[in-house]
Amino acid sequence: MAKTLFEWDYADYPGAKTYPHLFKPIQIGNLMVPNRIKYAATEDNLNGHDGFVTDAGVEYMRQRAIGVVGGLCFMQGVYMDPKRQGQGYVGQAACWDDKFIPGLKRICDAIHKAKAVAGFQLMDCGRVGAVEVDYCHGPSAVPQRLRIFKPVEEMTNADVKTMIQQHADAARRGVEAGFDIMEISGIVGYLISNFISSYTNRRTDEYGGDLRGRMQAVVEIIQGVKDVCGSDVPVGIRLCSEELLDDVRGNTPEESMETYKIAEEAGADYISCTLGWQESIYPVISRDIPMGNWIHLAKRAKEHVSIPVQMAYRLFKPELPNEKIGAGELDQWEICRSMIADPHMPKKVAEGKETEIRHCVACNLCLARLFRDAPMTCYINPVCAHEWQQEFANPKPAEEEKEVMIVGAGPAGLECAYMAASRGHEVHVYDKRDVIGGTLNEAKNAPYGDDELWTCIEYQKVMCEKAGVNFHLGTEVTDDLIEDEMPDTVVLATGPAYSKIEAPGGDSDKIVNLLDVMSDKAEVGETVVMYGNRKPGIGCALHLAKQGKKVTIVGKEKSAGFDVNPSFKWRYMIYMRQNGITVYNDCDIDEITDEGVVVKAYDGIRWPIKCDTVVVSDRGPNESLKKTVQSEGIELFVIGDALIPRNLSSAVHDGYRIGIRL
Amino acid sequence: MLVDTEKEITKMHRMLYSTRNEIGKTYYRWRQVAVELAGDNVKPLDVSLRAAEVFGKDIGKSFLPRMNWLKGEEGFLMILAKSLAGLWNTEGGLATIEKGEKPGEIKIKCLRDPWPTWAKEYGAPMEEVAVCRERMYQTILEDVSAFMNVPLKIELQKAIARGEGETVMTLSKVE
Repeated sequence: MAKTLFEWDYADYPGAKTYPHLFKPIQIGNLMVPNRIKYAATEDNLNGHDGFVTDAGVEYMRQRAIGVVGGLCFMQGVYMDPKRQGQGYVGQAACWDDKFIPGLKRICDAIHKAKAVAGFQLMDCGRVGAVEVDYCHGPSAVPQRLRIFKPVEEMTNADVKTMIQQHADAARRGVEAGFDIMEISGIVGYLISNFISSYTNRRTDEYGGDLRGRMQAVVEIIQGVKDVCGSDVPVGIRLCSEELLDDVRGNTPEESMETYKIAEEAGADYISCTLGWQESIYPVISRDIPMGNWIHLAKRAKEHVSIPVQMAYRLFKPELPNEKIGAGELDQWEICRSMIADPHMPKKVAEGKETEIRHCVACNLCLARLFRDAPMTCYINPVCAHEWQQEFANPKPAEEEKEVMIVGAGPAGLECAYMAASRGHEVHVYDKRDVIGGTLNEAKNAPYGDDELWTCIEYQKVMCEKAGVNFHLGTEVTDDLIEDEMPDTVVLATGPAYSKIEAPGGDSDKIVNLLDVMSDKAEVGETVVMYGNRKPGIGCALHLAKQGKKVTIVGKEKSAGFDVNPSFKWRYMIYMRQNGITVYNDCDIDEITDEGVVVKAYDGIRWPIKCDTVVVSDRGPNESLKKTVQSEGIELFVIGDALIPRNLSSAVHDGYRIGIRL
Repeated sequence: MLVDTEKEITKMHRMLYSTRNEIGKTYYRWRQVAVELAGDNVKPLDVSLRAAEVFGKDIGKSFLPRMNWLKGEEGFLMILAKSLAGLWNTEGGLATIEKGEKPGEIKIKCLRDPWPTWAKEYGAPMEEVAVCRERMYQTILEDVSAFMNVPLKIELQKAIARGEGETVMTLSKVE
């Protein structure tokens, strides 16, 4: 008889009727889990650099535990060696000594308080570890492909046996801390995957050689962990279904499926199906990869093993996992980034409040920050990692109710509007456009998944309606309107002012604005010069290149897309190359002629580029209305691109921060 | 268009040559410092060879992200040889690659090399140049070999000390 930890009845949850397969129980080992939802272990860099759990980490997990409505909730993977070679993140939780148990118990208790199943993950980061020491460890000393990682020290046979024992010891501590289910991480280039892969394991002892040999350490780890966990605590493993390392002679997909079978034979109670390494040259989870792109791999995994199969990877919405679970092609829906963006996402699905979900936009800023030793943050969710700061995460109602005029219904204005209104202010949002969304109306037309950015506006619209925000669309705010209305507070969220080209010919009729191009209002010739090498210029250049136009980007920044986070920027670099876009960085337009433009580099070198059209994407702060508001003595805030042109994330974060301050 | 293209290209060309020249001279200025600091017990050639290893180690790391086995062994070796020749060309050489006489062998030929001229200018033996390049390439290959799990070697076949005429190296897999 399988053990049930918490009773859940989803009969009154409307989402359980819409997505019945997501809210039916599943048995894993001897544990009955009430639903098919799992918050997958995710590093957050919120713990102390000594590996001890912090208040920030506990509260972060508490919110995710509430979100899984009784499902599996895994805390981040812990490193297990006192030498810290297995530590891959500065704020990763440690578990190499009993002294860490009380902190881990705090996280476990927080998960249990939400009546969720508490998961504990063992994660030695292998060749991507050693964030605080000089050498990481691995089965073989294969040089690093990426300079960001430390040199690899080959583990001796004794080191391997010690590492196996460390997994068992850490599992015992996890059980003592009260966790209900155990997981071994063998993904994305971490130690277990290093042992399995032909790319990184060239050992000649019993832990190397053929696939069985390369799996030997994994088998001993599973068996060792199972021994300490006993029959009540199931043990699962996350393994690559495809390494995507063909270019460096990694394992074949067939070999990967064989590893699944070996793990099952060794006693694994479930498999979490993953793919790709940090060193892979193929993208896996960025926005340019369509939703559901990898779900067929779960089906293939199920054809090879009989234990439950879980999977995440671009499954942001409930429809597909519900369908695949119903079809027997998947057993559990793993969620990671979607619950960074909205910790209560599955709960909202269950409650039939899907329109209130703040969707992840797959920008990978969260990962970029973790790799650069910064605490977790989210592009789209300003509260992420601030959950423990009550005044920030759950701001109090306003002490004094104000009449707030917000100028601009873009992402900054809308975010500010619903936050301010939900705190009791009377909020009026004005926009000269007839529609909300600001410049995202145009930005969403850029290729490679930028339409997903619009989910931010959809969410904000619902939240504004819920909070009772008043909209005045199609109304341009003028000095007179401000003087007539005389609000208590004005928030300028007007978006950026587009730069003028300050060069001879700057009034040429071949110059058009980026917004007009993205909304197909401007006539664009076959050869185009894009003025501005930040994200808007790149997005528009790709939009035009996709139409077959020859595009050249000329921009003042030293590197194109410097405002795009590094975990996504590399994608744009490849797409620009693939679409034949030429880029001149650290350059300006020196002259616009009948034939095209003259470009001038930082060092004075000039050269001509023929073009039919020049698109201006360069932006500056928007100073309009500021003087009027200040001269009337009205409280003023400037947010988003109107303050300094940046990106969607800054707009949302600005809006939220001012919304809770008003 | 109001651009005097000849003037602009001349300007860029001069800048490129000056930059290369300065890089070469800077190397020999530093070599002089290193030889002085090393003292009489260390041979200048050993200082130069050690520098070649340091350069090779770092350049080797920059090669790794581009290593790709998808085009098979021959394709991999060709791309690697192109990268080595490209490095020479960036420094002002005139290097090309071609298939060698033996199967799996690729020749890297350089018809002109500015390094011996700089060496002479700073009183360093011109003979050092080719040996140091060989050592630098060998060090690059150490990491590439370990990374791809393919033992590789590069050997200097022919060199004229003054840098005129043909310098030839062969790249191949260790059988």
